[in-house]
Amino acid sequence: MADTDSSQRVQEILTQATEELKSIKVPNDDQLEYDLGNLLVSNNNTLDETLTRDPEKIDSYLHNLARDSIQALLNRVWELPSERIDSDIYATLPKPTTRLPREKPVPKPRPPTKWEKYAREKGINNRKKDKKVWDDVLKRWVPRFGYRKIAAEKEKNWVKEVPSNADPFEDQFAKAAEMKKENVAKNEFQRLRNIAKNKKIKVPSVGVTGNEYASKNELSMAMHHAKHATASRGKFQPELPNEKKVKGLGKKRKIEFTTGSGQVEKKRNIEVLEKMDKPSLNLDGAIHKEIRDENVAMDLKRKGGKVYGRRSKMGGRHRTKSDHKSLKLGTGFQGKGKGKGKGKGKPKGKPNVGAKKKIGGPKMQGKGRPAGKGKMKGKGKGK
Amino acid sequence: MGVIQRVVKPRNSRSKRALEKREPKNIENTKQCLFFVGKKASEEMRRCLRDLYSLRKHHSLHLSRKHPDMAPCVDILPVERLGQKHDASLFCYVARTKKHQNNMVIGRMFNHHLLDLIEVDVSDFRSLAKFNNPKGAEGTKPCLTFAGPGWEDDAALRTLKSLLLDLFRGVEATAVRLQGFELALQFVAVDSKTVLMRGYSIHLKKSGLRTPRIELDLIGPCMTLHLQRSRLASDDLMKRACRQPKQVKANRVKNISKDVFGSRLGRIHMTSQDLGGLQTRKLKGLKKVEDRDGADGGSGGGGGGGGEEEQMELE
Repeated sequence: MADTDSSQRVQEILTQATEELKSIKVPNDDQLEYDLGNLLVSNNNTLDETLTRDPEKIDSYLHNLARDSIQALLNRVWELPSERIDSDIYATLPKPTTRLPREKPVPKPRPPTKWEKYAREKGINNRKKDKKVWDDVLKRWVPRFGYRKIAAEKEKNWVKEVPSNADPFEDQFAKAAEMKKENVAKNEFQRLRNIAKNKKIKVPSVGVTGNEYASKNELSMAMHHAKHATASRGKFQPELPNEKKVKGLGKKRKIEFTTGSGQVEKKRNIEVLEKMDKPSLNLDGAIHKEIRDENVAMDLKRKGGKVYGRRSKMGGRHRTKSDHKSLKLGTGFQGKGKGKGKGKGKPKGKPNVGAKKKIGGPKMQGKGRPAGKGKMKGKGKGK
Repeated sequence: MGVIQRVVKPRNSRSKRALEKREPKNIENTKQCLFFVGKKASEEMRRCLRDLYSLRKHHSLHLSRKHPDMAPCVDILPVERLGQKHDASLFCYVARTKKHQNNMVIGRMFNHHLLDLIEVDVSDFRSLAKFNNPKGAEGTKPCLTFAGPGWEDDAALRTLKSLLLDLFRGVEATAVRLQGFELALQFVAVDSKTVLMRGYSIHLKKSGLRTPRIELDLIGPCMTLHLQRSRLASDDLMKRACRQPKQVKANRVKNISKDVFGSRLGRIHMTSQDLGGLQTRKLKGLKKVEDRDGADGGSGGGGGGGGEEEQMELE
């Protein structure tokens, strides 16, 4: 009895154990497509329509579907070669088979620079240099580049010999610094030239390269100078409708102060006068001329004719004796006049001989044309 | 080594490293994904976005600011600019439009320009939080399964499969810890316009064999995606995007084989040689004479073999 019980018990335990260990077999697992690199499994079989339409059964259907697919996938993964690292077993995944697009295009290799081409031709190999160099002067290892290089150099070159053929007052340190700056600039220029060559941008071999991205001001400056480089110095250059002139270009003019003492102005004017080729002052002639003018004007006024200025009919010769007399005696004149500080009216005393009193009338300038050369009154053809 | 040809050189090594990271490379970085919200996304949709973000926690950015003026299906430029700023080539955008309450756009970029995108309408969403089962650690590489014939047949579904694969596969791994499988995602194409998504956690049970028995537990997120508009890449753009550099392609080793005993054999190919014209010691008796019958003439030189292939044993 005990035997059958125990054997029954053993049977029960065994069946229980086997039930626990469920199968890993998946039916139709060769119909699935595997991409082990991506841990991807695709099932292209048609789905059961009745189950997918039924909202109650769909979850369990999908659950079973997923379980089978994942089981099939992991069966394959467990078959992959594996290695043991620190108590963990790692399976080596193969490369993914699904072709996914890249993020960025394939990089193009950098084209060799001018030096690299030359070095390759000549077979010059780049030998890696150590960071520290033994320096006999300082008796220690000195960095060739980087941190503390310049401090070490300064320590070494605290004094610089002036060469025999150089100017004794020339600053050798400044000269050395200048040379270094030039070297750095030359290096930079060559680097940029290499880049330009690779990008197929043309760079002139001599002279200053134009700035591709010149600012608005620089472009206006360039325009201004181009315009002024003509034979007429830019005077007849046509302009675009909205073209604005740049401030600060063109002829510079120092504008004098309008306030303050006029000494500077006075001085300048006198200088100009002194430079001029002045004829000698014919005082008598001037006086006579003046008197004559006045007489003529008076005559005409008395007689009721038109009062002209300096120029009058008959050249102003039409005068009577009495006119002359009266004038000489200083009984004054009766025409309009602009005297220095004197108003209208009869002046008493002798006529001020030196002063130029002009008798009124339309002022005639030059050759008798109306003032303002070229100005047309009224309607005219505008520009 | 960084191949940066810039007019303005980076000032320090930190900025140089940042620039090198964003450069095109032979072996690329894992794609970065942007998760962001458009105008007026509902609470549910925002939770949906957060769930997807947590599935791809590493290599993704969840932008906290709302972008009300974005409409990727209409104008992709702002999205491209965002992608360029964050160096991201995948994006997932959620919004509410007049036609669809739960609109989601999943897209991909090549060289910071749009490659393809698909707009979906999300329904029956069940969040990760709804399921009370313990979830796996964040950032584990999930097992992906696609079910249904539509994934191969329909063009839009094919693109969607590629997009979902890109989005969820994580890092391209060379080795995987066998005890570390924790997440499984299932995408079922019910018909050409509907996709069901389910998320499970994987439990490895004893099976008596080396390979364990798999049990799945539904943990979410679960949702139904209805396909709407899509912008698929033209054939030549896709071809250009899929082009791989030569260095990455595997080199086939030719003419080397192993025999049964494990020794390595090589194959040498020779041009056929006229061994009759070889310079040998001249023996009068062996000279070829015409009009002679009998075996004497026949037994000619026994010089070497023909111009055939020889299998030689290599070290």
